[in-house]
Amino acid sequence: MTPKRDLDSEAKRAEFEATALPFLATLYNTAHRLTRGSDDAGDLVQDTYLRAFRTFENFAPGTNCRAWLLTIMYSVFINHYHKSRRQPVTVSIDELEDRFEQYLESSDDSSVASGLVDVGAMHAARMNPEVDTALRQLPDDFRLPVLFVDVEGLSYEEAAEVLRCPVGTIRSRLYRGRRLLFAALKEYATSMGFRGSRRSDT
Amino acid sequence: MSNPGGPRHYGEELQDLLDGRLDESRRSEVEAHVADCARCRRELDALAWVKSEVSKQAAVVEPTAELSSRIRAALDTPQRASRWSGMTRRVWIASALAAAALLAVFLRGRKSPPLPSLVASDFVAYQSGTLKLDYESADPKAVETNFARHGVRFSTHVYDLGMMNYRLAGGRVHRLDGRTSALFAYRGPGDSSLVCQMYEGSATELPPTDDVREHNRFTFYVYRSGKVTTVFWQEDGVMCVLSSDAPLEDVVQLAFAKAMRVQPTTD
Repeated sequence: MTPKRDLDSEAKRAEFEATALPFLATLYNTAHRLTRGSDDAGDLVQDTYLRAFRTFENFAPGTNCRAWLLTIMYSVFINHYHKSRRQPVTVSIDELEDRFEQYLESSDDSSVASGLVDVGAMHAARMNPEVDTALRQLPDDFRLPVLFVDVEGLSYEEAAEVLRCPVGTIRSRLYRGRRLLFAALKEYATSMGFRGSRRSDT
Repeated sequence: MSNPGGPRHYGEELQDLLDGRLDESRRSEVEAHVADCARCRRELDALAWVKSEVSKQAAVVEPTAELSSRIRAALDTPQRASRWSGMTRRVWIASALAAAALLAVFLRGRKSPPLPSLVASDFVAYQSGTLKLDYESADPKAVETNFARHGVRFSTHVYDLGMMNYRLAGGRVHRLDGRTSALFAYRGPGDSSLVCQMYEGSATELPPTDDVREHNRFTFYVYRSGKVTTVFWQEDGVMCVLSSDAPLEDVVQLAFAKAMRVQPTTD
């Protein structure tokens, strides 16, 4: 447990401004995704900063401030913006699971371009609305691990702390989330050159 | 391995491979399997594609300046604001923003927070360890050379203040209010620190202060923020500022000493 620090009010305000406020853009984007693009994003960020400021003595300097802020944001989100989580999911999980299995069982080996992965070669394209839409349509159980690990760049351990669940749960839900996303985006991936975009297995 | 009873395939281990979470022996084992298994290759490709595409979704919506102002205003009254909600909070924040806007007029059109607050924030961040030096050295010339090598366009004057019991710790090419700042820090008596910054600017950008000193043809502008004293002065087109948690008069004397050393025209 992190020991509480003793900060006078002005020092606290100054240090908080220097340490936490630079993450405003990151938090706003995360809030935008947590609330699925609703107008609540700004209020969620503000409530997060207010709570973080009140408990800033608990923050250990030198540790990951962004992960600490995201932990607070998720807690605020669950407690006060929970209605966003009840938004109906518009995709069928079973259908996506079936679609992914069909992809894996495909006998058309030409659709498999590589053996081991060269992720770096796939970074040329820019972000796109198709991926964003598919991500928003996933149930939160799978969407949030993908959001915190793949979008926010947290480690499994940090994501587990934010979502208050075991690391093993993050691992399995991230795995399923990625599979579901691929199934939802298979046609788009193909149109973007997924089929032949990487080295062949010769 | 997944699929008990049928052909053996990896599942989550493929993701572990992708995310670098396997030790060397396990990694070799999974890679060897993937090389011979079309299904696992397909799955690994799919997982990698998703990871790559999703990572591009980061930071696509810019927060408005209004949100930033709203948060700063709310932070200034955290106890009350935390208990308020909905309309009450919005009305109060709107009032605070209006007051802040009026204050901004008096601060000569500058965006808040003013430079003394920013410098004090940097000092607190340095002292708490959240603002790191990117070049550590007790050699003033080496620190000056490092500044020049890393894009500081103006001449910097880093001094050995050992005679005054301050030991140079190093420097950092910093950003202060949107501009490049040469920041260098000293460790002083006890646990005190001294942080110096030099940046291109003018004393006219500073907010009013009642504590203005004249010494050796320099004008010094003194501010106090909690336990932190900041002292600004101008050397041609470069502003210098010292910030420290040492006693106020000690910081002022350090500023006098530092400004004296560069008093002659140094171009």
